[in-house]
Order: sequence, then structure tokens, then C-alpha cells
Amino acid sequence: MTTKAFLSSVIFAALCSAMVLPTSAQDPATDAPTLTIWWAQWDPAVGLQTLSEDFTKESGIVVKVQQIPWPSYQEQVFLNFGNKTTDFDIVIGDSQWLGRGADKGLYLELTDWIGEAVDLSTIHPLAQRYLMEYPEGSGRYYGAPCETDAIGFVYRKDWFEDPAEKKAFQVKYSRKLAPPDTWQEFRDIAEHFHRPDEKRYGTALLTGRGYDSITMGFQPFLWAWGGAWADPETFEVQGHVNGLGAVAGLEAFIDLLQFTPPGGESSDYFQNLDAFTNGSTAMVLDYFPFYPGIVQNMGDQAGFFVVPRNGDTRAISLGGQGFSVSTKTSAQQQELAKQFIAWFQRTEVQEKWITFPGCFTANTELLQSQAFREAYPFNSTFAESLDHLRDFWNVPVYNELLSASLRNLGEALDKVKTPQEALDQLAMEHELILRGAGLLK
Amino acid sequence: MPTQGGEITLGRGGENSGGGADADRWLKVGFVAPALLVLISVNIFPLIYSIWLSFTNADLVGGGIRSVGTLNYSFLFFDPRYAQALRTTVLFVALAVGIELVLGYGLALCLRPTFRGKPILLTALLVPMMMPPAVMGVYWTLILNGSFGVLNQALGLLGLPELQWLTDPDLKLVSIILIDVWMWTPFTILISLAGLNAIPASIYEAAAVDRATTWMVFRRITLPMSAPLVGLAALLRATDALKQFDLVMAITGPNDGATQTLSALLYQVMFRDGKVGLASAYSYMVLVVVIALASVFLRYLASLQHRASATEAT
Amino acid sequence: MNRRLGLGRLRWVFLALYSVFSVLPLLWLGITSVKSKADSISTTVRFVPTTQPVDPRASTIRFLPTLDGYRALSDVYAGADHPYYHYLGNTLVIGVLSMVASVLIGTACAYGFSRFLIPGARDWLFFILSTRFLPPLAVVIPVLMMYREFGLQNTHLGLIILYTSFNLSLAVWLMKGFVDEIPAAYEEAALIDGYSRLSAFIRVVLPRAVPGMAVTAVFCLISAWNEYGFAMTLNNREGVTVPVYFAGLQGNVQGFPWSQIGAGVFLFVTPIVLFTILVRRHLLRGVTFGTIKR
Repeated sequence: MTTKAFLSSVIFAALCSAMVLPTSAQDPATDAPTLTIWWAQWDPAVGLQTLSEDFTKESGIVVKVQQIPWPSYQEQVFLNFGNKTTDFDIVIGDSQWLGRGADKGLYLELTDWIGEAVDLSTIHPLAQRYLMEYPEGSGRYYGAPCETDAIGFVYRKDWFEDPAEKKAFQVKYSRKLAPPDTWQEFRDIAEHFHRPDEKRYGTALLTGRGYDSITMGFQPFLWAWGGAWADPETFEVQGHVNGLGAVAGLEAFIDLLQFTPPGGESSDYFQNLDAFTNGSTAMVLDYFPFYPGIVQNMGDQAGFFVVPRNGDTRAISLGGQGFSVSTKTSAQQQELAKQFIAWFQRTEVQEKWITFPGCFTANTELLQSQAFREAYPFNSTFAESLDHLRDFWNVPVYNELLSASLRNLGEALDKVKTPQEALDQLAMEHELILRGAGLLK
Repeated sequence: MPTQGGEITLGRGGENSGGGADADRWLKVGFVAPALLVLISVNIFPLIYSIWLSFTNADLVGGGIRSVGTLNYSFLFFDPRYAQALRTTVLFVALAVGIELVLGYGLALCLRPTFRGKPILLTALLVPMMMPPAVMGVYWTLILNGSFGVLNQALGLLGLPELQWLTDPDLKLVSIILIDVWMWTPFTILISLAGLNAIPASIYEAAAVDRATTWMVFRRITLPMSAPLVGLAALLRATDALKQFDLVMAITGPNDGATQTLSALLYQVMFRDGKVGLASAYSYMVLVVVIALASVFLRYLASLQHRASATEAT
Repeated sequence: MNRRLGLGRLRWVFLALYSVFSVLPLLWLGITSVKSKADSISTTVRFVPTTQPVDPRASTIRFLPTLDGYRALSDVYAGADHPYYHYLGNTLVIGVLSMVASVLIGTACAYGFSRFLIPGARDWLFFILSTRFLPPLAVVIPVLMMYREFGLQNTHLGLIILYTSFNLSLAVWLMKGFVDEIPAAYEEAALIDGYSRLSAFIRVVLPRAVPGMAVTAVFCLISAWNEYGFAMTLNNREGVTVPVYFAGLQGNVQGFPWSQIGAGVFLFVTPIVLFTILVRRHLLRGVTFGTIKR
């Protein structure tokens, strides 16, 4: 290629690129009032966009659900809150964000309005507590449920129903092979199906180190064995997060990791999904919105059960996100936002909402309805799970607390520290963070 | 960051301007100014702004910013994460860049003589360098997956132990180094090869007359004469490796003690914890260290180059 | 040189081993791009194509090739506003324009430092290089604030300016090496012939600098093409590039669409590979940074 040809081809390419530029300008402006909602980029957000067409028909307000890739969703939202005005009117945020949003004056307080506009009795009390209220128990609302979510198990129904497996299990454990109710039963089943030589594994739990996976995976054990993140009144952490119950819970958690696929001590939502879809693992823990995909891929081979209990305590990590209205948008837009939120909570709207893949509700009436429970194979398990939800910290410094939890739990799982050492260190760090934030006196 | 003059003569610093100095003055500015303008406005101005931020309690979401003095800087000494991230980063840079240099230089030696198909092979070997790191990090997790990844299955077939590349706390960093080596060895091959090709054949002919052994030729001619360029490759790779973030993010996330590099820590503090002031202080410490190291290194390179040209002259 | 005892054979072994290490992951990427999702995560690794459908959970090394991964690129998947090719177009615009800008501005600057007496030239050159050491996270907040002020957020232009600034240091240093090697006598002759400085630069120096510019262009293009952090942070509407598109794939409730990622990466890297092949001849000479005297 000659010099000239090279130069001219580069210039040609540049010119072509320059010509493309203007075409990618703004969408044609419409006169209709437009409401912008930010959410992470995933199927439920597509459902919300579709659902909102009904709202547009009713009210004439156009709704645009702007979807941000998951890996940087949180960062994008709070960066945007740093602007004088936000690009969104409504943000659909994690339950953890409530404290930060309320405390920093980013979320509009909805307390007075929501009681009148929405029938709160239709919303599951635990969803109210974790997705709406801050501080907990104060009766002040900053959000409304959008995607109510929980973790739950998916299991290989065909393996559980295999007569040979049933017989072998009966012989060894003197008990029928059935979805477990307690963690002790769970351990037996995991042990029974764990056959690394055949590339079959007992279970995959949540242990990933990317963001909150390991903490969500540990919480059911923490609570079920009698531990807690802190005293709910005083925020005292010593003796709670590193108390006897917490340590026993962490030990039980680590004990189960011997039945995971190789690498199971660091496995997040997506890796668990692959571990189940490729047919290697008997019981996998994940969030419910992933299960429509599983049903689509695995059909009848997949069954579902609620996170097991220990003794009398069954505790389940909450997932999901709620609507909050930005304070950094015009009063006019805030009114539109409220209008949309109120509309969304209506039972007939919720009824349609749950027909979209991965979309779940906190509407008590629907949760109890036969139609909901039969719509998808995992729906009744989901409804049952809601009664046992609990959540991580939602104070403004939740991210630092989460980060300390990730690192210390990770070291316990990696056997760098003993459970007691790891939790002692965690308690110390949490104490420092909470003191620094003025929450713990 | 002004350097202490003299020695950095990479390039034939030919300040051999001819013609009327006055008439050329505006032209001189016209040539040089655009680049400096872009750099100052997009890189330096923000940097100065972030100096100010580093002395405040600035938060990601805005709100009342007030000065906190040197508090953020003193935090460095109390934050165990910072010390650990520094260790991890140094380890990563030393190992990744070290391996890339040795491998790249060795391969360049192998690729030096012409043979049939060399251009094709060389081009094929360069491809990993063109891959998007953020995506390749995610894609490599498919290869390295502990239970169904192709690497472990291959190792198993060969009767070798199957390792937990992505989850073993001792191996996570190794995996990130492995991917970095895969991506960036092509770069050191390229630069080493350029350095080797530039050694005049006449020197080798003279050595042949003197019946020098292969080792002697390598030790006395090849290595010293290609050293300046290889050194520069090391510098460029090291500065990039110091900023390593995309792969860490894809393999473990930014908050894994075993792999948290300085950039990952910065990200965690700035975007997750929202402490912009503190993160600015952290990044300043990184920058000062890097520039100090780089200026020392450039001096060393310049002296290497003097020696190389001395070799050539004899 | 030719008296290496046994080194010759060793050399081929070394080259072969490295080639396997280097090329196999790429080959695997290609294979993954024509697999179904089930085949890409099977517990027994599948790499032998067959024409028969395969049970997704059977233990076999065979798989039925499919172009679904490539087809999925034309779909507007969950939440995106456009198919993959739209984002590829964005990357092309941003990559090419920032590449052209870096090379032109860089060459002019290199020429200035090479031919004129500039006070403190070495300090300036070091200053230019030092901008490369900057951790991008150190400037992200101020850049963001600046971009908000000037309305450059969510624009192609914003990213073009940013990438140009990131690549300038490399461009200046690479080009300085090149321009230094072009004998000043050529221009002096042109000046005597009545050319102005500027036209001498354009007519005499630039054509001789083209190989260097081509090589510089490759490096600038690679880095602008693949950048993720700022593309993600500064954009969520217009000017979204392909690396961000891939990040968006991670919200898929079916899990990672490995074949789609494989197919997308494959198409993504092709233009750069082609460009590299075009300038291959100059590549080796291009990276000397002027350290070599001829």
C-alpha cells in the first residue's frame, strides 16, 4: 500500500465517521410530559418499560426506563446525584441505598403522601420495612416497592425423584429424600449428591466477592444460628456479629462448602446459574428473578424450595429494589413520579406486572392468590419466602460495612482466618465505621 | 514535574532549527501548543482540581464540602488496605512486567532471523494486544472456571492437578498476571524486535572476525545495544500495569483483599464508599510515587543509551 | 550468530509453545462464538463439531455449531436501545476520530520539538510523558464536572477529546523519534525553493512521516477502541461504545450469553487486526521512539 493510498484511506474513514456524527443526535422531542426512570439493565426493567405503556394510555405521560449496565449501576446513580439536577425523576434503588438517599437529601420523603395515595395494607409488611422505611421503625417513607425479591433454592427435581437415588438415600440416612426443611437435612442431601468423580456436586451457595454476594449468602446462617449484625436499638455490634450464634452460623456455612463444585468458595449469582444450567449441581441458591430462565432451560427438571431453617429460625436475605423520587428534579416532575408510583402499586397493575419474566410483587392479596401461586413453578416458594425476609444494613455507610464484611468473610471462607478471628475483626471494623458515622455512640 | 535536565536524550534532540527566529516564533507555538493545550485542559487542570479535593471531605453525591486539612493524607498510614494494595500492585507490576519482558525479549530473539511465514506468525501473535481488556477479563473466567473451564479439563486429561484459578486466594493474582502476560507480551515482542533489528550487522561481522562465542556476542553486543529500547518498553508497560483495573474488576471485583490493586482500591473508595476527598488523596500518593520512579528510570535509560552508543562507536 | 549449538531447535520449541499459549484462547473464543449456551458451559468440554443435535447435559465432546451468537448481535436485547452494530458504529466514530486527532496533533508537536529551539524542551517532553502515568481515576470526578459544565457528557465529542488527550503522550514520543530521523536538509532545500515552513512541513515532512504515523495510529486506535472506564462513566445515552455494550450483557437473567460475547468480540477486533495488517511493514520501525540512530 502506498503512502498516498494510506493517507487517503484514513482521511476517507475520518470523513465517513464525521458524517455519522450528526445522525446520532437527540431523539425528536415530544410535547407529552415524560417521566424518566433509571434502573439496571435486565429483564425486569424491560417488563417495567412494557408495563408503563398502560400508564401512558391512561395518563398521557410518557415513561422512559433508562437502563444502566449492572456492573456500574450504583456508581452511575450516585454520580448522577452529584449533579444540580438528576437525569432521572425516579431511581429504582437497592434497599441498602435508602439511608444514603434519605440522609443526604437525595430521596424525596414520601411519608405524608404515600399513606393517602397507596393502600399500604396491600404491601407486605416486610417489604414496607426494608424497601420503604428509613430509619427502620420510624414510620418515615422514602421509597415504594418495585421489584420485591429474595433468595431461594432451585433443585434437580429429576434427581430427587429418581427411585434409585431415593432408595440409596433412605438406606443411608433412614429418611425419605425430599426438599429439605432444615439445614441439617440440607447437609445430608448435599452430601448424598456430591460425587466429584461423576462431576456431580451437592450444592452451590452464594460466596462471590464482586459486591454483596458473599454477605447475602452468609446472612441466612448468621440469623438462623442466633447471630445478628447488631443490636437494633443501640447499634452495638460486639457480641452480635461475633457472638456464639454468628460463629456457629459461619462454621455451618463453611462446612457446607465442601459439597460445592470446585471453586464454590467464591461463586456469585451468575456462576451459580451456570452451575445449575449445566446440570452438575443438585441444589443452587440464587435470586428469584433468575428462575424464569432456569425454567425455560431445564423445564420439569427444576424444582424450588425455601431457604432452610435452623431450629425454629428461618431467615432469608432480601433482594430487590424500590422506587424513590429524586429531590433534584422539578416539583412538576416529582408529581408525575408520584402519580406513576401510586399507579404501579394498584392491585390490577401488580397483577399484570408479575406476568413479565423475573418480575415479583409485594402485594399481599396477589401473593396469596391461587392464580399467582400457579403461574410459575417458583411462585409459591417465593410467596412463602417473603415472610422470613431480613436485610443488611441500610445506613448511609452501608457500603463500607459491606466491604468489611466481604473481606473478612472471604478470609474465613479461604481459611486464612478462623471463623472467630474473622468475625472478631469484622466486629471491630464495623464498630469503627459506625462510630465514625456517628451512629454508634 | 520538571526533571533535572541533561540526561534524557532519548531521540536525537535535534534542535537544529534554521531560519529567522522571529518569524518562526508563532509557528513554533502553533506546532507545539495544541498538544500542550489539550493535555493541560483535560489532564492537568482536573489534576489540580483534585489536589483541592484531596484536602476536603468531598462526597460523590455532592453536598457541603469543607476542608479537612491533611486528614485524608494521614488516613493513608492507618488504612491497612492501602499498604496491602501497594504490596499487591508492586507484586503485580514486578511479576507481570518481568515475565512479559523476559518472554517478549526471548521471543524477539527467536523471531529475529527471517523465515517463511514470519510476517503471518508475527501478526497472529500480536492479536491478543488488540483485545478489549474489560471484556477479555470476563471471557477468561470461562476458560479458567474451576469446574467446567477448558483449562482445568485439559490439565485433568494430562493428569495434572486441576487448580482453582479464580477462587484460590493464592492463585487469583496469578490468574490476573497470566491474562496480562497473554495480552501484553506481544507489545514487548514488538519493541524488542525493533531494538534488535536496529543493531548494525557490521558489528556482528566484526565479532565474527574476532571469533567471539555466541554467548559473548549476546552479552557484549546484542543485550547492551538493545537495552535502551527494552528499558523503554519496561517503562511503558510498568506505567500501564500500575493502573491495572479492568482485569481485576472482571476476575474478582474491586474489593478482594488478594487482588486489590491501588486502582481497585481507588475505585472502591471513590465510587462505592463515595469518599471523593479521600480517594483524591490516595490517587495523589500514587501519582507522586509513579512520577518519581519514572524520572529515576528515565535517567537510567539515558545512561544505558550512552553506553550503547559507546559500544557502537568502538 | 549461526554457530548456536542446539539453540536452533530450542528456538522452534519455544516459539511453538508460546504460539499455542497465545493463539489457543483466541481459537477458543472463535469456537465459543458458534456454540449454544448449554454447550459453552457443559461439564465435559465440547470442541468437536457435529451435525447431530446434542443432549445439553450429556457427557460428550461434540457440539452442534450454531450462528445464534451472531444472530443475537442483531437483536436489541434486554434494555439496550439498539443492536450491537449501533454501538460498533459509535466505537468506530469515536475510535477513528480520536486516533486521527492524536496522530495529527502529536505529529505537529513532535515536529515542533524536533526542529525548533524550545526553552525547557526536555522538561516539556517529560511533562508530556508524565501525563501517561496518571491514574485515570484521579481525574474522573473533575473531568466529569468539567464535561457537565460544557455539555460534553453523553456525547461522542466528549470521549473523542478524552481519548485524544490520553493518547497524545504516546503519539508525541513515538512521532518525535520518527521526525528526528527525517533529515532537516530536505526541508531546508524546500525552504530555499520558496516554500513556507508550514508548506514544507506538509509537503516534505508529513509524507516521510507516514510510516510512523501509521504505527502511532495503530496504538492510539487500540487504546481508544477498547477503553471501558470513562466510556461507562461519561455515557449512558449517546456515544455508548461496544465495551459498555458487553457490560450490559451481564444483566441477562439467563446468565452470561457466552456465544454472543464470543461473536461480538470476534467482530469487534477484526477492524483493528485488518488495520494492523495494513501497516505491518512499518510496525517494527515505528516503535523505536527515536532511540536508535541509523
